[in-house]
Amino acid sequence: MNDTPTLTDRYIDAAMRAVPERQRADLAAELRASIADDIDTRIEAGEDDAAAERDVLTALGDPEKLAAGYTDRPLHLIGPKYFLDWKRLVVLLLWIVLPCAAFGVALGMTIAGEPVGGIIGTVAAVLVSAFVHVVFWTTLVFALVERYGEDDPKAAPPAWKLDDLPDPRPKGAGLPDMIATLVLLGLVTAAVLWDRFVGFVPGEPGLSFLDPGLWPAWIILLFVVIGLEAAVAVAVYAARRWTIPLAVANAVLNVVIVVPALWLLVEGRLLNAAFWPGVIADDPASAQTVAGVMAAIFGIGFAGIAVWDTIDAFLKARRRLVA
Amino acid sequence: MWDVSENESIEIHIQELRRGTVVLACLRLLTRPGYGYGLLEELQSRGFDTDANTLYPLLRRLEKQGHLTSEWNTDEARPRKFYRTSDAGHRLAALLTDDLTRIAAAIDALPTED
Repeated sequence: MNDTPTLTDRYIDAAMRAVPERQRADLAAELRASIADDIDTRIEAGEDDAAAERDVLTALGDPEKLAAGYTDRPLHLIGPKYFLDWKRLVVLLLWIVLPCAAFGVALGMTIAGEPVGGIIGTVAAVLVSAFVHVVFWTTLVFALVERYGEDDPKAAPPAWKLDDLPDPRPKGAGLPDMIATLVLLGLVTAAVLWDRFVGFVPGEPGLSFLDPGLWPAWIILLFVVIGLEAAVAVAVYAARRWTIPLAVANAVLNVVIVVPALWLLVEGRLLNAAFWPGVIADDPASAQTVAGVMAAIFGIGFAGIAVWDTIDAFLKARRRLVA
Repeated sequence: MWDVSENESIEIHIQELRRGTVVLACLRLLTRPGYGYGLLEELQSRGFDTDANTLYPLLRRLEKQGHLTSEWNTDEARPRKFYRTSDAGHRLAALLTDDLTRIAAAIDALPTED
Protein backbone atom coordinates (compact mmCIF):
# COMPACT_ATOMS: atom_id res chain seq x y z
CA MET A 1 0.00 0.00 0.00
CA ASN A 2 1.50 3.31 -1.08
CA ASP A 3 2.11 5.58 1.91
CA THR A 4 3.10 8.79 0.16
CA PRO A 5 0.07 11.09 -0.10
CA THR A 6 -1.37 11.48 -3.57
CA LEU A 7 -1.98 14.85 -5.16
CA THR A 8 -5.64 14.50 -4.26
CA ASP A 9 -4.78 13.84 -0.62
CA ARG A 10 -2.54 16.87 -0.51
CA TYR A 11 -5.17 19.04 -2.17
CA ILE A 12 -7.94 18.02 0.20
CA ASP A 13 -5.58 18.44 3.12
CA ALA A 14 -4.70 21.99 2.01
CA ALA A 15 -8.35 22.91 1.56
CA MET A 16 -9.43 21.49 4.90
CA ARG A 17 -6.76 23.40 6.80
CA ALA A 18 -8.78 26.57 6.23
CA VAL A 19 -12.03 24.98 7.37
CA PRO A 20 -13.22 24.79 10.98
CA GLU A 21 -12.76 21.45 12.74
CA ARG A 22 -16.36 20.32 12.92
CA GLN A 23 -17.05 20.72 9.19
CA ARG A 24 -13.87 19.03 8.06
CA ALA A 25 -14.84 15.35 7.93
CA ASP A 26 -18.03 16.00 5.98
CA LEU A 27 -16.47 18.46 3.53
CA ALA A 28 -13.40 16.30 2.98
CA ALA A 29 -15.48 13.24 2.22
CA GLU A 30 -17.72 15.09 -0.21
CA LEU A 31 -14.83 16.77 -1.97
CA ARG A 32 -12.94 13.48 -2.26
CA ALA A 33 -15.96 11.79 -3.85
CA SER A 34 -16.46 14.68 -6.31
CA ILE A 35 -12.80 14.65 -7.34
CA ALA A 36 -12.84 10.88 -7.76
CA ASP A 37 -16.01 11.03 -9.89
CA ASP A 38 -14.45 13.67 -12.12
CA ILE A 39 -11.23 11.64 -12.53
CA ASP A 40 -13.21 8.49 -13.37
CA THR A 41 -15.17 10.26 -16.08
CA ARG A 42 -11.96 11.56 -17.67
CA ILE A 43 -10.28 8.15 -17.51
CA GLU A 44 -13.30 6.62 -19.23
CA ALA A 45 -12.97 9.28 -21.92
CA GLY A 46 -9.43 8.03 -22.52
CA GLU A 47 -7.30 10.35 -20.44
CA ASP A 48 -4.25 9.05 -18.64
CA ASP A 49 -4.64 8.56 -14.84
CA ALA A 50 -2.06 11.07 -13.68
CA ALA A 51 -3.08 13.68 -16.26
CA ALA A 52 -6.74 13.33 -15.27
CA GLU A 53 -5.91 13.92 -11.62
CA ARG A 54 -3.83 16.97 -12.46
CA ASP A 55 -6.53 18.43 -14.70
CA VAL A 56 -9.27 18.00 -12.13
CA LEU A 57 -7.27 19.55 -9.30
CA THR A 58 -6.04 22.41 -11.47
CA ALA A 59 -9.60 23.18 -12.53
CA LEU A 60 -10.64 23.31 -8.87
CA GLY A 61 -8.07 26.05 -8.27
CA ASP A 62 -6.53 27.44 -5.11
CA PRO A 63 -7.66 25.13 -2.26
CA GLU A 64 -7.82 28.01 0.19
CA LYS A 65 -10.08 29.93 -2.16
CA LEU A 66 -12.32 26.87 -2.44
CA ALA A 67 -12.39 26.55 1.34
CA ALA A 68 -13.31 30.22 1.69
CA GLY A 69 -16.25 29.58 -0.64
CA TYR A 70 -17.34 26.66 1.54
CA THR A 71 -17.12 28.59 4.79
CA ASP A 72 -18.36 31.95 3.50
CA ARG A 73 -15.32 33.68 4.91
CA PRO A 74 -14.39 37.02 3.32
CA LEU A 75 -11.25 37.04 1.17
CA HIS A 76 -10.53 40.66 2.05
CA LEU A 77 -9.20 42.41 5.15
CA ILE A 78 -11.76 45.20 5.30
CA GLY A 79 -14.73 45.00 2.96
CA PRO A 80 -17.00 47.59 1.38
CA LYS A 81 -19.24 47.68 4.44
CA TYR A 82 -16.61 49.23 6.69
CA PHE A 83 -13.98 50.53 4.28
CA LEU A 84 -15.07 54.17 4.07
CA ASP A 85 -15.51 54.43 7.82
CA TRP A 86 -12.05 52.93 8.32
CA LYS A 87 -10.49 55.29 5.81
CA ARG A 88 -12.12 58.39 7.30
CA LEU A 89 -11.18 57.40 10.83
CA VAL A 90 -7.55 56.75 9.91
CA VAL A 91 -7.25 60.11 8.14
CA LEU A 92 -8.85 61.91 11.09
CA LEU A 93 -6.62 60.21 13.65
CA LEU A 94 -3.49 60.92 11.64
CA TRP A 95 -4.38 64.61 11.37
CA ILE A 96 -4.81 64.77 15.14
CA VAL A 97 -2.08 62.48 16.42
CA LEU A 98 0.85 63.30 14.14
CA PRO A 99 0.95 67.09 14.61
CA CYS A 100 0.44 66.72 18.38
CA ALA A 101 3.21 64.14 18.63
CA ALA A 102 5.61 66.22 16.53
CA PHE A 103 4.88 69.42 18.43
CA GLY A 104 5.12 67.76 21.82
CA VAL A 105 8.38 66.01 21.12
CA ALA A 106 9.94 69.10 19.52
CA LEU A 107 8.89 71.32 22.41
CA GLY A 108 10.09 68.90 25.05
CA MET A 109 13.44 68.36 23.41
CA THR A 110 13.96 72.07 22.80
CA ILE A 111 13.32 72.90 26.43
CA ALA A 112 15.68 70.12 27.43
CA GLY A 113 18.30 71.80 25.28
CA GLU A 114 18.86 69.11 22.66
CA PRO A 115 20.68 70.06 19.44
CA VAL A 116 18.50 70.84 16.43
CA GLY A 117 19.75 67.89 14.39
CA GLY A 118 18.79 65.53 17.18
CA ILE A 119 15.36 67.11 17.48
CA ILE A 120 14.65 66.77 13.77
CA GLY A 121 15.83 63.16 13.76
CA THR A 122 13.74 62.21 16.76
CA VAL A 123 10.65 64.00 15.48
CA ALA A 124 10.96 62.15 12.17
CA ALA A 125 11.31 58.82 13.95
CA VAL A 126 8.36 59.62 16.23
CA LEU A 127 6.20 60.60 13.25
CA VAL A 128 6.94 57.34 11.45
CA SER A 129 6.28 55.31 14.57
CA ALA A 130 3.05 57.18 15.34
CA PHE A 131 1.85 56.73 11.76
CA VAL A 132 2.45 52.98 11.85
CA HIS A 133 0.74 52.60 15.21
CA VAL A 134 -2.35 54.61 14.24
CA VAL A 135 -2.80 52.73 10.97
CA PHE A 136 -2.08 49.29 12.43
CA TRP A 137 -4.35 49.39 15.46
CA THR A 138 -7.24 51.01 13.57
CA THR A 139 -6.93 48.44 10.78
CA LEU A 140 -6.75 45.60 13.29
CA VAL A 141 -9.93 46.66 15.04
CA PHE A 142 -11.81 47.06 11.78
CA ALA A 143 -10.54 43.72 10.44
CA LEU A 144 -11.79 42.00 13.60
CA VAL A 145 -15.16 43.71 13.31
CA GLU A 146 -15.35 42.66 9.65
CA ARG A 147 -14.69 39.03 10.52
CA TYR A 148 -16.42 38.55 13.83
CA GLY A 149 -18.88 41.42 13.85
CA GLU A 150 -22.54 40.64 14.02
CA ASP A 151 -24.70 40.45 10.95
CA ASP A 152 -27.49 42.05 12.92
CA PRO A 153 -28.95 44.83 10.74
CA LYS A 154 -29.56 46.97 13.82
CA ALA A 155 -25.86 46.88 14.64
CA ALA A 156 -24.83 48.01 11.15
CA PRO A 157 -23.09 51.38 10.78
CA PRO A 158 -25.76 54.13 10.44
CA ALA A 159 -26.81 54.87 6.88
CA TRP A 160 -25.40 57.95 5.21
CA LYS A 161 -27.67 60.98 5.36
CA LEU A 162 -27.54 64.23 3.44
CA ASP A 163 -26.40 65.98 6.63
CA ASP A 164 -23.16 64.02 6.37
CA LEU A 165 -22.11 65.91 3.25
CA PRO A 166 -18.84 67.72 4.01
CA ASP A 167 -19.24 71.50 4.16
CA PRO A 168 -18.26 73.38 1.01
CA ARG A 169 -14.56 74.08 1.31
CA PRO A 170 -13.68 77.75 1.45
CA LYS A 171 -11.62 78.90 -1.49
CA GLY A 172 -9.81 81.37 0.70
CA ALA A 173 -9.83 84.02 -2.00
CA GLY A 174 -12.80 86.16 -1.12
CA LEU A 175 -12.96 89.73 0.13
CA PRO A 176 -13.14 88.75 3.81
CA ASP A 177 -9.94 86.70 3.43
CA MET A 178 -8.04 89.56 1.85
CA ILE A 179 -9.27 92.07 4.42
CA ALA A 180 -8.41 89.67 7.24
CA THR A 181 -4.90 89.16 5.91
CA LEU A 182 -4.31 92.90 5.42
CA VAL A 183 -5.66 93.68 8.87
CA LEU A 184 -3.47 91.00 10.40
CA LEU A 185 -0.40 92.31 8.62
CA GLY A 186 -1.29 95.81 9.75
CA LEU A 187 -1.59 94.64 13.35
CA VAL A 188 1.78 92.89 13.15
CA THR A 189 3.39 96.07 11.84
CA ALA A 190 1.73 98.15 14.52
CA ALA A 191 2.70 95.66 17.22
CA VAL A 192 6.35 95.70 16.16
CA LEU A 193 6.40 99.51 16.18
CA TRP A 194 4.57 99.73 19.49
CA ASP A 195 6.92 97.19 20.99
CA ARG A 196 9.91 99.28 19.92
CA PHE A 197 8.74 102.69 20.91
CA VAL A 198 6.26 102.14 23.73
CA GLY A 199 6.68 98.62 25.06
CA PHE A 200 4.13 96.03 26.13
CA VAL A 201 4.96 95.88 29.80
CA PRO A 202 2.98 98.54 31.71
CA GLY A 203 5.49 99.06 34.50
CA GLU A 204 8.59 99.14 32.31
CA PRO A 205 8.36 101.64 29.48
CA GLY A 206 10.85 100.95 26.71
CA LEU A 207 11.36 97.28 27.59
CA SER A 208 10.81 95.67 24.21
CA PHE A 209 9.96 92.01 23.57
CA LEU A 210 12.08 91.93 20.42
CA ASP A 211 15.80 92.51 20.63
CA PRO A 212 16.60 96.24 20.21
CA GLY A 213 19.58 95.28 18.06
CA LEU A 214 17.13 94.28 15.31
CA TRP A 215 16.37 97.95 14.65
CA PRO A 216 16.56 99.29 11.99
CA ALA A 217 17.93 96.91 9.36
CA TRP A 218 16.08 93.69 10.22
CA ILE A 219 12.87 95.49 11.02
CA ILE A 220 12.93 97.26 7.67
CA LEU A 221 13.44 93.88 5.98
CA LEU A 222 10.47 92.57 7.96
CA PHE A 223 8.29 95.46 6.79
CA VAL A 224 9.32 94.83 3.19
CA VAL A 225 8.29 91.19 3.48
CA ILE A 226 5.02 92.22 5.13
CA GLY A 227 4.41 94.54 2.18
CA LEU A 228 5.01 91.66 -0.22
CA GLU A 229 2.66 89.43 1.73
CA ALA A 230 -0.01 92.13 1.48
CA ALA A 231 0.61 92.25 -2.26
CA VAL A 232 0.12 88.47 -2.48
CA ALA A 233 -3.14 88.76 -0.55
CA VAL A 234 -4.41 91.42 -2.96
CA ALA A 235 -3.28 89.33 -5.94
CA VAL A 236 -5.21 86.31 -4.62
CA TYR A 237 -8.32 88.44 -4.31
CA ALA A 238 -7.85 89.86 -7.80
CA ALA A 239 -7.33 86.40 -9.29
CA ARG A 240 -10.39 85.15 -7.35
CA ARG A 241 -8.52 82.02 -6.29
CA TRP A 242 -5.17 80.73 -5.13
CA THR A 243 -3.04 79.70 -8.08
CA ILE A 244 0.14 77.65 -8.01
CA PRO A 245 2.39 80.65 -8.77
CA LEU A 246 0.76 82.60 -5.93
CA ALA A 247 1.14 79.62 -3.62
CA VAL A 248 4.81 79.42 -4.56
CA ALA A 249 5.23 83.16 -3.88
CA ASN A 250 3.57 82.65 -0.53
CA ALA A 251 5.89 79.76 0.25
CA VAL A 252 8.96 81.78 -0.69
CA LEU A 253 7.86 84.68 1.51
CA ASN A 254 7.26 82.29 4.40
CA VAL A 255 10.76 80.90 4.01
CA VAL A 256 12.21 84.41 3.80
CA ILE A 257 10.57 85.29 7.12
CA VAL A 258 11.00 82.05 9.03
CA VAL A 259 14.57 81.06 8.19
CA PRO A 260 16.21 84.34 9.27
CA ALA A 261 13.88 84.55 12.26
CA LEU A 262 14.85 81.09 13.48
CA TRP A 263 18.51 81.81 12.84
CA LEU A 264 18.27 85.02 14.87
CA LEU A 265 16.39 83.15 17.57
CA VAL A 266 19.07 80.51 17.84
CA GLU A 267 21.75 83.22 17.92
CA GLY A 268 19.85 84.90 20.74
CA ARG A 269 19.38 88.06 18.74
CA LEU A 270 15.65 87.84 18.08
CA LEU A 271 14.15 88.23 21.53
CA ASN A 272 15.27 90.80 24.04
CA ALA A 273 17.34 88.99 26.68
CA ALA A 274 16.44 91.62 29.25
CA PHE A 275 12.69 91.17 28.73
CA TRP A 276 11.88 88.31 31.06
CA PRO A 277 14.26 89.34 33.81
CA GLY A 278 12.63 92.76 33.57
CA VAL A 279 9.14 91.30 33.90
CA ILE A 280 10.00 88.78 36.61
CA ALA A 281 12.16 91.18 38.57
CA ASP A 282 12.95 89.21 41.71
CA ASP A 283 13.83 85.75 40.39
CA PRO A 284 16.53 85.75 37.72
CA ALA A 285 16.82 81.95 37.62
CA SER A 286 13.18 81.31 36.83
CA ALA A 287 13.29 84.26 34.43
CA GLN A 288 16.00 82.39 32.54
CA THR A 289 13.86 79.25 32.40
CA VAL A 290 10.82 81.16 31.24
CA ALA A 291 12.90 82.93 28.62
CA GLY A 292 14.14 79.59 27.32
CA VAL A 293 10.67 78.03 27.25
CA MET A 294 9.06 81.06 25.62
CA ALA A 295 11.79 81.20 23.00
CA ALA A 296 11.24 77.52 22.22
CA ILE A 297 7.47 77.89 21.99
CA PHE A 298 7.83 81.00 19.89
CA GLY A 299 10.28 79.38 17.49
CA ILE A 300 8.39 76.11 17.05
CA GLY A 301 5.02 77.83 16.85
CA PHE A 302 6.33 80.30 14.31
CA ALA A 303 7.81 77.55 12.14
CA GLY A 304 4.69 75.45 12.51
CA ILE A 305 2.38 78.26 11.46
CA ALA A 306 4.60 79.03 8.45
CA VAL A 307 4.55 75.37 7.37
CA TRP A 308 0.79 75.13 7.79
CA ASP A 309 0.22 78.37 5.90
CA THR A 310 2.38 77.20 3.01
CA ILE A 311 0.66 73.84 2.75
CA ASP A 312 -2.76 75.46 3.07
CA ALA A 313 -2.04 77.82 0.17
CA PHE A 314 -0.98 74.91 -2.03
CA LEU A 315 -4.04 72.89 -1.08
CA LYS A 316 -6.29 75.83 -1.93
CA ALA A 317 -4.48 76.31 -5.22
CA ARG A 318 -5.07 72.70 -6.22
CA ARG A 319 -8.75 72.65 -5.39
CA ARG A 320 -11.16 72.89 -8.25
CA LEU A 321 -14.23 73.93 -6.37
CA VAL A 322 -17.26 74.36 -8.61
CA ALA A 323 -18.35 77.95 -8.05
CA MET B 1 -10.34 40.50 -33.43
CA TRP B 2 -11.25 41.43 -29.83
CA ASP B 3 -8.28 42.25 -27.62
CA VAL B 4 -7.77 40.40 -24.36
CA SER B 5 -9.13 43.06 -22.02
CA GLU B 6 -12.36 43.36 -23.99
CA ASN B 7 -12.71 39.58 -23.85
CA GLU B 8 -12.24 39.65 -20.09
CA SER B 9 -14.83 42.35 -19.54
CA ILE B 10 -17.26 40.42 -21.75
CA GLU B 11 -16.55 37.29 -19.67
CA ILE B 12 -17.33 39.20 -16.49
CA HIS B 13 -20.64 40.49 -17.81
CA ILE B 14 -21.66 37.03 -18.97
CA GLN B 15 -20.78 35.57 -15.58
CA GLU B 16 -22.87 38.27 -13.88
CA LEU B 17 -25.82 37.39 -16.05
CA ARG B 18 -25.49 33.67 -15.39
CA ARG B 19 -24.82 33.74 -11.68
CA GLY B 20 -28.41 33.86 -10.53
CA THR B 21 -29.64 31.41 -13.12
CA VAL B 22 -27.38 28.60 -11.92
CA VAL B 23 -29.07 28.82 -8.50
CA LEU B 24 -32.47 28.47 -10.13
CA ALA B 25 -31.28 25.55 -12.26
CA CYS B 26 -29.93 23.72 -9.20
CA LEU B 27 -33.14 24.19 -7.23
CA ARG B 28 -35.24 22.94 -10.13
CA LEU B 29 -32.97 19.98 -10.97
CA LEU B 30 -32.63 18.87 -7.37
CA THR B 31 -36.34 18.13 -7.17
CA ARG B 32 -34.86 14.71 -7.77
CA PRO B 33 -31.89 14.01 -5.45
CA GLY B 34 -28.47 14.68 -6.98
CA TYR B 35 -24.83 14.80 -5.92
CA GLY B 36 -21.98 17.21 -6.62
CA TYR B 37 -20.32 15.90 -9.75
CA GLY B 38 -23.47 14.40 -11.23
CA LEU B 39 -25.24 17.74 -10.94
CA LEU B 40 -22.26 19.50 -12.52
CA GLU B 41 -22.42 17.18 -15.54
CA GLU B 42 -26.18 17.60 -15.88
CA LEU B 43 -25.97 21.39 -15.65
CA GLN B 44 -23.29 21.47 -18.33
CA SER B 45 -25.22 19.16 -20.63
CA ARG B 46 -28.31 21.33 -20.25
CA GLY B 47 -26.38 24.46 -21.18
CA PHE B 48 -25.76 25.95 -17.70
CA ASP B 49 -22.04 26.50 -17.97
CA THR B 50 -20.53 26.49 -14.49
CA ASP B 51 -17.33 25.40 -12.72
CA ALA B 52 -16.83 22.84 -9.98
CA ASN B 53 -15.32 25.43 -7.63
CA THR B 54 -18.43 27.59 -8.04
CA LEU B 55 -21.01 24.82 -7.80
CA TYR B 56 -19.78 22.92 -4.75
CA PRO B 57 -19.65 25.96 -2.42
CA LEU B 58 -23.00 27.07 -3.88
CA LEU B 59 -24.63 23.78 -2.86
CA ARG B 60 -23.27 24.20 0.67
CA ARG B 61 -24.54 27.76 0.85
CA LEU B 62 -28.01 26.79 -0.34
CA GLU B 63 -28.10 24.01 2.24
CA LYS B 64 -27.06 26.44 4.96
CA GLN B 65 -29.85 28.80 3.88
CA GLY B 66 -32.34 25.95 4.11
CA HIS B 67 -33.19 25.67 0.43
CA LEU B 68 -31.60 22.22 0.12
CA THR B 69 -31.46 19.21 2.39
CA SER B 70 -28.70 16.65 2.23
CA GLU B 71 -27.96 13.09 3.28
CA TRP B 72 -25.14 10.67 2.77
CA ASN B 73 -25.85 7.73 0.50
CA THR B 74 -23.73 4.68 1.34
CA ASP B 75 -25.38 2.24 -1.08
CA GLU B 76 -22.50 2.23 -3.55
CA ALA B 77 -18.81 1.60 -2.97
CA ARG B 78 -18.18 5.33 -3.02
CA PRO B 79 -20.34 7.17 -0.43
CA ARG B 80 -21.83 10.33 -1.89
CA LYS B 81 -23.66 13.29 -0.39
CA PHE B 82 -27.02 13.72 -2.05
CA TYR B 83 -28.89 17.02 -2.07
CA ARG B 84 -32.54 17.63 -2.70
CA THR B 85 -34.67 20.74 -2.80
CA SER B 86 -36.58 21.52 0.39
CA ASP B 87 -40.02 23.12 0.57
CA ALA B 88 -38.47 26.51 1.07
CA GLY B 89 -36.25 25.76 -1.92
CA HIS B 90 -39.29 24.96 -4.07
CA ARG B 91 -40.91 28.25 -3.09
CA LEU B 92 -37.72 30.10 -3.96
CA ALA B 93 -37.48 28.26 -7.29
CA ALA B 94 -41.04 29.28 -8.16
CA LEU B 95 -40.30 32.91 -7.30
CA LEU B 96 -37.09 32.92 -9.32
CA THR B 97 -38.75 31.29 -12.30
CA ASP B 98 -41.54 33.86 -12.29
CA ASP B 99 -39.03 36.69 -12.04
CA LEU B 100 -36.92 35.28 -14.84
CA THR B 101 -39.95 34.93 -17.10
CA ARG B 102 -40.94 38.49 -16.35
CA ILE B 103 -37.45 39.77 -17.11
CA ALA B 104 -37.26 37.79 -20.37
CA ALA B 105 -40.56 39.32 -21.48
CA ALA B 106 -39.33 42.78 -20.51
CA ILE B 107 -36.17 42.26 -22.55
CA ASP B 108 -38.23 41.15 -25.53
CA ALA B 109 -40.19 44.37 -25.22
CA LEU B 110 -37.05 46.53 -25.30
CA PRO B 111 -36.57 48.61 -28.42
CA THR B 112 -34.07 47.05 -30.82
CA GLU B 113 -31.42 49.05 -32.63
CA ASP B 114 -32.72 50.11 -36.04
